[in-house]
Amino acid sequence: MSWFALRKEPPLWGQIALGGGLLLVLLLLWTMATSGDAVETRMVPPTILPSPSEVLGGLDSLVNERALLKSVFATLRRVFLGFGLAVLVGVPLGMAAGAWRPLSSTLAPIIMFGRNIPIAALIPLTMVWFGLEEGQKVMFIFLATFPFMFSDAASEVTGIHERYVETGQTLGASSWQIFIKILVPLSLPNIFTKLRHLFGLAFGYIMLAELINTDSGLGFLLRMSQRRGQTEHIFLILFIITLLAVVIDRGLAWFQRGLFPYRKDL
Amino acid sequence: MTADDVKIRLRNAHKRFRGDQGDVAVLDGVDLEIREGEFFAIVGPSGCGKSTLLNCLAGFEHLTSGEVTIDGAPVGDPSPRRVFVFQEYAIFPWLSVADNVAFGLAGLRRPERDRIVARYVEMVGLQGFESAFPHELSGGMRQRVEFARALAVDPDMLFLDEPFGALDALTRMEMRREITRIWQETGKTCILVTHDVDEAVELADRVAVLSTRPAIVQRILDNPRPRPRDIADPECRALRTTILEVLGVGSSR
Repeated sequence: MSWFALRKEPPLWGQIALGGGLLLVLLLLWTMATSGDAVETRMVPPTILPSPSEVLGGLDSLVNERALLKSVFATLRRVFLGFGLAVLVGVPLGMAAGAWRPLSSTLAPIIMFGRNIPIAALIPLTMVWFGLEEGQKVMFIFLATFPFMFSDAASEVTGIHERYVETGQTLGASSWQIFIKILVPLSLPNIFTKLRHLFGLAFGYIMLAELINTDSGLGFLLRMSQRRGQTEHIFLILFIITLLAVVIDRGLAWFQRGLFPYRKDL
Repeated sequence: MTADDVKIRLRNAHKRFRGDQGDVAVLDGVDLEIREGEFFAIVGPSGCGKSTLLNCLAGFEHLTSGEVTIDGAPVGDPSPRRVFVFQEYAIFPWLSVADNVAFGLAGLRRPERDRIVARYVEMVGLQGFESAFPHELSGGMRQRVEFARALAVDPDMLFLDEPFGALDALTRMEMRREITRIWQETGKTCILVTHDVDEAVELADRVAVLSTRPAIVQRILDNPRPRPRDIADPECRALRTTILEVLGVGSSR
């Protein structure tokens, strides 16, 4: 039977049925574990695991009393600022270092430090340097993603086949022209893919930063909900975070295909 | 051969690379004289140093000892006088056919550039595809773009480094005919590096047969047959047999 054939993807309806099937089973188990008229008769109390309807019912208070949208925007603002700053600095610098290796050697110690330090360990230092306000969150994201962007951009440029450089040379292009007119456009599509992966990472890091001295943001809301024992809010926020991450990644992928229509593999 | 129609002269060319197991000799005293306007082929076994030889002629690499001169002057850095056509498609995927062909013409004014692009797009038979992108073209058409882009900078010499290696057999035959036509039309000095003996027989005025590494020139064979050539005709087949024998893979026929 073809469904058991090695490495064969099932038809679309089959994929939906299989994934959806698991979701249904989980939902059923969840409902069973949390059903009961009174708290005492429930298998699991609502502070540990609220029922599906309790989670849905928490949406109203999350949006109105806890100002969900304000927190969503606060989180996105921090990620986009920190990430954007890292793109603006890291990508051009990395591409230049990929083309001119001495620059890469010069920056190697800093990049090695940045790539290998456990990122949470930077939080105290960013608080000392950038205070406790927004600047600290933005700089934290910047520091967390910049070294990776730098090395991704550099390795994409070094990875380009020498033939392209030689072609530029025989067609009379200078080193700078080869960089701007050949190496940059050739490496950009793959760098964009790496940036999409790094954005996922940045989105994860911001939750870490928002656990400290914040009065808004999804990380802050999570901590508040835990303190107040509003487990249904925790569930909702987790779903919202996942949804945001997926939507942003798909958006970036769509944007990428529009920018590089000649790359059918993206 | 008189001294003044020699385009490229290679004298006692040695090239060594420093490898993991010490020095490796790649070229071991190569002597060659290539004439102005000639179609010259260099054949040899895989890995014998053919491409290294071509890279030294182009200025991408430098000889360990010996000398290489073009028009009597030592070879310097890569220059648009010597343009490469490679087997890997080094055409730029984000540029249209016309923009690819115009790549080496950045210093020119717009009307002049457009005129040159139109001329070479037509010469390689790509009219109507000026605004197409490389991914929309077949392998043979992409190869034509490479040729047009190389010809557009009006080089003295075209270096063809196994240019048809990535094409299927039928397209390869078609492209050989095209290259013959373009060569006759433009009169450029062409240096072809290949391990395809038929290709050398069909295209070249003279064929230099290299030995295995470290390479020396074993023989240089003339091919005065008129073009277009049919590699099935007896004289071409005789030449083919000779080349294969020199290469040490002669048929047991």
